[in-house]
Amino acid sequence: MTYLPYVIAAYAVFVLVLVWDFVIPQLQIRSELRRVRLRSQRDSNRAAPAELSR
Amino acid sequence: MNPVFRWFHQLGSPPTFDRFAARWAPWCHLLGLLLLAVGGWLAFQVPADYQQGDSFRILYIHVPSAWMSLLVFALMAFYAAIALVWRIKLCEILAMACAPIGAAFTVITLATGSIWGKPMWGTWWDWDPRLTTELILLFLYLGVIGLYGAIEDRRSAARAAGLLAIVGVALLPVIRYSVVWWNSLHQGQTIRIFGESSMDSSMLAPLVVMVVATKLWFLGSLLARARADNLRRESGKDWVVKLAQVRP
Repeated sequence: MTYLPYVIAAYAVFVLVLVWDFVIPQLQIRSELRRVRLRSQRDSNRAAPAELSR
Repeated sequence: MNPVFRWFHQLGSPPTFDRFAARWAPWCHLLGLLLLAVGGWLAFQVPADYQQGDSFRILYIHVPSAWMSLLVFALMAFYAAIALVWRIKLCEILAMACAPIGAAFTVITLATGSIWGKPMWGTWWDWDPRLTTELILLFLYLGVIGLYGAIEDRRSAARAAGLLAIVGVALLPVIRYSVVWWNSLHQGQTIRIFGESSMDSSMLAPLVVMVVATKLWFLGSLLARARADNLRRESGKDWVVKLAQVRP
């Protein structure tokens, strides 16, 4: 008897979990850098009108 | 100062670690992926087992993942201990980065073991000592992740979760020897690093490749996850602001 469907299912679980393990930190790094960039843009926009009013 | 010690000392600096992780994580992942592909291919080249048929091929992902689940927990506790004693921030970050990766390997171990168990034992799950202790290991990993996420101050959170990791190390020998100490549905030890394995040598090569591959994959994931946490903790610093502007 072949147990190939069980083998394929096991390897699929392995691949899926590793893909999750790879993708999550990449998304975290990207979102963190984006958050910092947006915050620094907000800060510089807030500083600009103050300089104009002087 | 000894150049090796100086290098370790410099690596503790967050911007240096970020550059190091950004440079080496992709290489570790790529090498790990290549070896996983080679190991996966080799796993289907060896002849089927005379008793288990093709189902024995699950071994090539189940065993390396099980070993990783134990190794990563031990490493997490080691980093946590260093962080608790010497208050090294990078070790806190590395310890906490270990937890989700170890949990992922534990999930793979439990899921693939369950899938293997159905055709061989006739059941998806049994409250067998090895299976139960491995499930407790998953709960410990989840406990560490949960505790780290539950406390707002990152350093206090890492210390509390690290303490749980250190206490949890007591479970590792129980998992390792569970098949020796109790009557178990799970098979006994067949592969020995020191001494002769009861597994045929023709079946060992793919396993060795997969063991090395999972280690490299883990290194890549550890660096990537630690980098993400490092950036989160340092998000107010100038070097992160500069980095964010350079790399949109």
